[in-house]
Amino acid sequence: MRLLLIEDDLTLGEGLRDYLRADGHRVDWCERLAATAALADEPYDALLVDWQLPDGSGLDWLRARRTRGDTTPALMLTARDRLGDRITGLDSGADDYMVKPFAPEELSARLRAVSRRSGAGVARSRSRFGSIEVDLVARAAFVGGERADLTAREWALLEALVLRAGRIVPKADLEKLVHGFDSEVASNALEVHVSALRRKLGRDLIETVRGLGYRIDEAPT
Amino acid sequence: MNLPPQREAAGAGRVPSIRLRLANALLLWTLVWGLGVTVAVGYAAQGEVDELLDASLQSSAALLVGTLPVPSRDANATDGALPVGAEGEFAWQTVGAGGAVLQRSANAPVQSLQAVATPGFSQTESWRVFGAALGSDGRMLYVAHSVRERAEARAEVALSAALAAISIGLLGHGWLRARVRSELRPLERLTEKLERHDPLDPAQALGAADRAELMPVHAAIDQLGQRLARRVAHEHAFAAHAAHALRTPLAGMEAQLAVALRESTPAVQQRLQRVRDASHRLQRVVQSLLDLFRVGSEVQRQAVDLKALLAHLPIEGLEVSVQSPRPFTADPDLLAAAFANLLDNAKRYGARQVVVSTPAPGTLRLQDDGPGAIPERLHELREALRKQDYEGHTGLGLMLADLVARSHGGSLSLPRTEQGFAVELILDKADGDERAV
Repeated sequence: MRLLLIEDDLTLGEGLRDYLRADGHRVDWCERLAATAALADEPYDALLVDWQLPDGSGLDWLRARRTRGDTTPALMLTARDRLGDRITGLDSGADDYMVKPFAPEELSARLRAVSRRSGAGVARSRSRFGSIEVDLVARAAFVGGERADLTAREWALLEALVLRAGRIVPKADLEKLVHGFDSEVASNALEVHVSALRRKLGRDLIETVRGLGYRIDEAPT
Repeated sequence: MNLPPQREAAGAGRVPSIRLRLANALLLWTLVWGLGVTVAVGYAAQGEVDELLDASLQSSAALLVGTLPVPSRDANATDGALPVGAEGEFAWQTVGAGGAVLQRSANAPVQSLQAVATPGFSQTESWRVFGAALGSDGRMLYVAHSVRERAEARAEVALSAALAAISIGLLGHGWLRARVRSELRPLERLTEKLERHDPLDPAQALGAADRAELMPVHAAIDQLGQRLARRVAHEHAFAAHAAHALRTPLAGMEAQLAVALRESTPAVQQRLQRVRDASHRLQRVVQSLLDLFRVGSEVQRQAVDLKALLAHLPIEGLEVSVQSPRPFTADPDLLAAAFANLLDNAKRYGARQVVVSTPAPGTLRLQDDGPGAIPERLHELREALRKQDYEGHTGLGLMLADLVARSHGGSLSLPRTEQGFAVELILDKADGDERAV
């Protein structure tokens, strides 16, 4: 998943970034809300937002994003543990609420949960698309029960499409979701990954919608 | 801030009552007043009644001197122009120069009231006598009151005075008692207001005093409330600041350790895991301390799903099960803090399983399978909880759990159990009173 992490504490921000990257996610980490302005149009699979930031409230930032119609799943990361705070956080647009300190393993699991619940079309961590089975927790795809050997980029592409199953994902968004914000990527890299995935998982899994992008069929079983 | 009812009741038995003390003082004053008036009237009556009776004797003598008939030859005859009934206590005699009784009233003695001629007032054993000379031939007129009658007259006057004084005193006593009750009513109203008063809630102001004497009390309570509100606000601000200042670095440590554990060799991983375990203990202590700040400030009761609440409190290596839970209400955050500490205690003291049940409405029981506590230690813990004397006697966990229970109006109890250690969190006031540790 491509994630935007907004956390001003260096120890925590760096730790979470490294942990989530090691988990296979692409993580953009901002220490200030101001830094997110440049990323406003970037597609993300989920947002990890601290409530109290030096230049403002992460909650207000999220609320403004929701007002603009953004539905990206969001997790509040905060030291505020009161019942009222949790209710406020969830009512302001957060999909989940994590009180510091928390185990990164739990954050990772909750990320998967909110992504599944976010209307991406995948209600379970393990889903079947025809003869292909995708396990988002194990980060693996199976063809006829056999585990396919996917590279990190190929998995990122597959995950981005599975999380948005049934929807056309624009090529530009896919490139960002797969490669992240600060990677230098060849112009045809995405087509290369799509081609590799079709070779490994079958030609029918990923549909090309000419001029718009790519799509994996809805109705996973 | 209210005293627990049992303490209140015990206190009411020891503390003197203003109303009772005033009533006793008034009763004593009534008795002293009645006695004093009786003595004073009795003393005055003795002199005044004597004077009055003496004056009547003197007047009677003067009257008789002018109206007496010619003396009879029979000394024992009881003739007279002013006959007096045999029952009367007034008597008169005329006595010749030789001391013989010439005339007398029916109830007068046969012998002369005085052996020798005695003009003016004199006293015999039974009579108060007034003597007056009849002409110049040595005859004497004696008029007399019986001493008994005079004593009766004095006693009647004194008794009437005493009865009047006591009646007035009792009437005054009743009236003053009613006044005392009425004057103490503003104090009762103040007490009722204070029972409902919450200094942290501006909507529940104490209001103006309705007696001048209570104005300083109102002012002192208002000032106390303001100080309390400031202190609570400071504590809330501190807790919020401390929460952020402590939780974020702990979360950073946790994340960095998780990354380091992944990237390190197995040998280093063991050390890092121990550091991470220690970090988890530190997190629980910090959480408990932060919860302590919140206990007592506000309790937000709501229906609690016991199983869901316990599912969020995993303690590694401890199996927690719930037995036939009854519905109850509590502040879920505070209850979770109490449970987290009690379960952590159970694990640290060697338990592997904990059964959570609700033996009575509003009561939660945690029973573990650990070695339990020796009777002396159990007694010490119970006493510490009863007196809220935690320091040096209980750990942070029991202290926090007790404060959580008390903030709900209940208490923490350590019931007897055949095996392991049991704790009962009583979250209901009525039950708390009955089942206090």
